[in-house]
Amino acid sequence: MQVAVVQARPATRRRSPLARRRELMAYLFLLPAAVLLAIFTLLPFVQAIVLSFQEWDGVSKSTPFVGLSNYRFVLHDTVFWSSMRNVLIFGVAGFLLGNALSLGMAIAVHKVHRGKALFRTAFYLPGVFSVVVIGMIFSWLLAPNAGILNRMLTTVGMSGHNWLGDPGTALPAVAAVFLWYHWGFGFILYLAGLQDLPVELYEAASLDGARGWAKFRYVTWPELLPVTAIVSLLTLLGALQVFGTVQVLTNGGPGYHTMVPTLRIYQEAFTNTRFGSAAAMSVIFGGALVLLAMMHLWLSRRRK
Amino acid sequence: MKALAGRGGLYALLVLAAVGALFPIAWLLIGSLQTSDELYRGTKLLPAKPQWSNYVTAWTDGDLGTYLPNSVIYTVSAVMGILVVSSMAGYALARIEFRGKSAVTFALLALMIIPAPASFIAQYKLMVMLGLTNSRVGYVLILVAAGVPLSALIMRGFFANLPKDLEEAAAIDGSTALNTFARVILPLARPGLIAVAVIQGLAVWNEYLLALVLFDDDRLMPIQRGLTNFVSAETPVQNILLAATAISVLPVVVFYVFAQRQVVQGISSGAVK
Repeated sequence: MQVAVVQARPATRRRSPLARRRELMAYLFLLPAAVLLAIFTLLPFVQAIVLSFQEWDGVSKSTPFVGLSNYRFVLHDTVFWSSMRNVLIFGVAGFLLGNALSLGMAIAVHKVHRGKALFRTAFYLPGVFSVVVIGMIFSWLLAPNAGILNRMLTTVGMSGHNWLGDPGTALPAVAAVFLWYHWGFGFILYLAGLQDLPVELYEAASLDGARGWAKFRYVTWPELLPVTAIVSLLTLLGALQVFGTVQVLTNGGPGYHTMVPTLRIYQEAFTNTRFGSAAAMSVIFGGALVLLAMMHLWLSRRRK
Repeated sequence: MKALAGRGGLYALLVLAAVGALFPIAWLLIGSLQTSDELYRGTKLLPAKPQWSNYVTAWTDGDLGTYLPNSVIYTVSAVMGILVVSSMAGYALARIEFRGKSAVTFALLALMIIPAPASFIAQYKLMVMLGLTNSRVGYVLILVAAGVPLSALIMRGFFANLPKDLEEAAAIDGSTALNTFARVILPLARPGLIAVAVIQGLAVWNEYLLALVLFDDDRLMPIQRGLTNFVSAETPVQNILLAATAISVLPVVVFYVFAQRQVVQGISSGAVK
């Protein structure tokens, strides 16, 4: 039987025993990663979709099927939808301001001759801290009375403000903290991109009479486009998934003015113990993120 | 003259930005050494007499003797796991021809796209079903799985850059494939291993969402979770809280200052290539 099977496939190229052994080795080497990812990443992703059609209180063994009712529930949850709107502001701030800030500062650091490593270290340092630490530092800095920002304002004769407690300023304040925390990441990528640019390009541009702005517009910018594509994707996805910074700074308040989807999903599950509708939210929100990432991949591939 | 002024302006801008980036961190350290009276009145910038005792109080009141060792355990074991699993996978992807290779590579990329908010509820449910909530093993397993896709792709990049005939030369010398991988290839890919260790070490040390979801037993929580517990407990004293926060930050800062070259290299090679 076995012989027949082997003979039935004369078209396949015969592999040497060594190559076959190495192929087997490749599968063995990939096995641990495959098992881990299948159980702890892929299965939960699929499970989230299943759970969104079920009801679960977080403890009991039974998870009755409830059809679309979780989705109907989420559709009418105004807090979830305003959290989606809030996170869009985070996304836009991360995308536009984050890119501008990190590219601008990367160009500035690239230009200087002394202290490059020092500036690089300083600018990325905030990025190595946890969201908990960032949240704590800034909830003290921005505190209404004893907060150092208000104290500085009153010293120069201006009045203090309850930055995180006022519905009008809470969201911009949290977004600003987020930006302070995250821009160093894009900065590192842009700086690495700038250092990889061939000097000849600038020399050629100089010969053609290009100066300052024109050099940036016709050499730096197009050459850095791949970096911009990655910085944009990572900052956008990072901003949309914000959780810890918001939870520690405002816990979504005042009211729901700084509520973001991840925090809403967490509360729906662990505070309201409605895991089914939390799963429905995570499917809607996670699906939107996956779609966004795929669109981005498709667009940046088409540009090449 | 004009160029000189321009350069001066550039430095002024950079120094200003560096102050903006570092000031909140500096303030954390200064505040952690002030008396609570100094902190609230805020009339002096520097403490008249550094209150090192704040750190002692923070350590005992904040139960950091429990949380900090927990974080060390989680970080070391998760990073070890990630290094083993991702270097094996990265090696297979970079240096061995096998059927389904491009599909596997694509699957790794696709798994990186799955956002945490889409699955942490279901991850919690899985852990409940497996009886792995409040379990060190469960937490570490999820962290390893989360770190593998990016790390495997970084390692693939480092392995691919090694000279082509290494394996053949070793085979001629009579080395088995596994031996070649462990004795010849891995040592050469050390910069990659270090980059992965540093990036994932920071990520695991700072992880918060899963720790929040998976642990309600205080004795198992990592430092990030322990800090937030400390805040919500009663009304803590601010300067003590600052000291506790500073303690949680110190290992990271020391680590970063020593390993920042690898951080930078790892981020740029991992993300761009």
